[in-house]
Amino acid sequence: MTTALDRRDRPAARAPFAHRGRWRSMADSPVWPRAALAIGLAAIVLSYVPILWLALMSFSERPFSGLPWPLTVDWYREMAADRRWPGPMGLSLALAGAVAVICMVVATAVGRGIMRLRRPGGVLALAVVPLFVPGLTIGAALFLFFRSYLDLRLGVWSMLIGHIVWALPFALLLVVVMLSRFDRRLVEAAADLGASPRRIFLDIELPILRPAVVGAGLFGFLLSFTELMRSIFLRGTATSMPVFQWAQSSDHQSYVPISFALSTIILAVTLPVLGAFFWILFRGMEGPRR
Amino acid sequence: MIRLRAAYHELAAGGWPVMLFVAAWTVLVVTPLALMLVYSLFRTQGFATDFTPGLETWRTFFDSGRWQVVVRTVRIGLTVTVVVMAISLPFAIWLAKGCRSASIRAALVTLITIPFFLDVASRTIVWRTLLGSEGAVNTLLGLVGIPPQAWLLYSEFAVHFGMVLVYFPTMVLPIMLVLTLIDDDLLEASGDLGASRWQTFTDVLLPLALPGVAAGVVFTMVPAMADVVVPQIMGGFNVNMLGNSVDAALDALKYPMAAALSSFVIAVLLVLLGLLALVLRRVGAGAALFRALDA
Repeated sequence: MTTALDRRDRPAARAPFAHRGRWRSMADSPVWPRAALAIGLAAIVLSYVPILWLALMSFSERPFSGLPWPLTVDWYREMAADRRWPGPMGLSLALAGAVAVICMVVATAVGRGIMRLRRPGGVLALAVVPLFVPGLTIGAALFLFFRSYLDLRLGVWSMLIGHIVWALPFALLLVVVMLSRFDRRLVEAAADLGASPRRIFLDIELPILRPAVVGAGLFGFLLSFTELMRSIFLRGTATSMPVFQWAQSSDHQSYVPISFALSTIILAVTLPVLGAFFWILFRGMEGPRR
Repeated sequence: MIRLRAAYHELAAGGWPVMLFVAAWTVLVVTPLALMLVYSLFRTQGFATDFTPGLETWRTFFDSGRWQVVVRTVRIGLTVTVVVMAISLPFAIWLAKGCRSASIRAALVTLITIPFFLDVASRTIVWRTLLGSEGAVNTLLGLVGIPPQAWLLYSEFAVHFGMVLVYFPTMVLPIMLVLTLIDDDLLEASGDLGASRWQTFTDVLLPLALPGVAAGVVFTMVPAMADVVVPQIMGGFNVNMLGNSVDAALDALKYPMAAALSSFVIAVLLVLLGLLALVLRRVGAGAALFRALDA
């Protein structure tokens, strides 16, 4: 009987293809794959510990103690009566919705234009600059530009600009990647058959681009809904949900635990939606099952 | 002039959306960043800004002992990036090449992606109730008879710990995406030609994965170097980083100092990313050859 060890000792000499598929089989052979998996899983579990603990402690009478009991729903009752958070929540939803729509439209229009350039590199490099600049820095730069140089009154509009500068590069990359796989001959064939540019766009390009456009909208919504650093500087007197939560958590003396209840409800709404979306997205990427 | 006109014609091929976009980005991204650098040449007089150019703000910056903060920021940023890389690279390889079940892979990638979209302050603040002196961990330790461990919170350990968890997804995902694009046949061919596993890893897999590694480093190091939220929540006010200094300077209406600090963050990042590009170019020399053979 030939053991795996024997084969490893004399690979080429005996059978040139004896270890074909060895890389694949590494999944269930030595130590490192297990170590890699263990460390990765540990990181994932640790990422979810605070999320689950937050949900648990939102039902605790003493949310800052080490033990969740005695349990209570008082914080939820208090949250329902609280008048401070519905405003920021509404603003965040409106901002996120606006950013999502703008990302979908602008990324599609600009992405199609970029693909028509002979050398798209320059415009693409310019487009991704905000990804290389920390949120704090671009927030401070935009603040100085609007407030000090242009002497404008900051508010929802400047927050919206900050969010778009952050989310649009991601949306644009999604659309450009999708378009670079796009078979231009489909468009040419449609044109040869007499379709108007409008029909070509609506009947051919848009259906093929749909996943990227939907992705651009979802990314835009989420990146805006959770955005903090740019909002802090550009908000003027407006308050979005992350800014509200940040203000609550910065002041840890008067920190009111209703924000635990609030976060739990936000999580309860977003987790299933995100889970379903990503599950479908990533299953789709795997291609048809063998 | 001629070059400008050529650039204009090039852009015109993209139609008006591209031209509008380039104009918007020039006004909203490039101009503010450039003007921020200019602003650092002004200085604060009382509570107003004196718009006479000079180097006084920079002199104050270098004299005021902020060097400690700079050194700490670079140290923590680099440590976090290295630790996240050490966790992410093996895991990404396992996900892309080791995991055989498409369902398990999709489930894990979904789990990794979700926290990235939840607001950082809410999910980091909870660690205070877990790691604090009366938190869950110390309560459990107390039951076993171990005294409360103060270093768990408001310490450099806590800041590192919090940041590693926040930036883990942004490192794993790009590396994994690039790895899934590598053809398994290349790896098998390397083995068939007599390479050991280690050689296959260093000479084939790693060079081909470098674009993903570079993207992961950018998405981790850029936000880590300017993080305000995690240092403040996990470090209390014991572990301030450059981001906290910018925040404090803006709160105190010291706009020129905030501009100088922010420009400095960008300079530090440019130097580090430049070094990374140099290293990658050197390591990637072999990869170019490999890609040529592949084509």
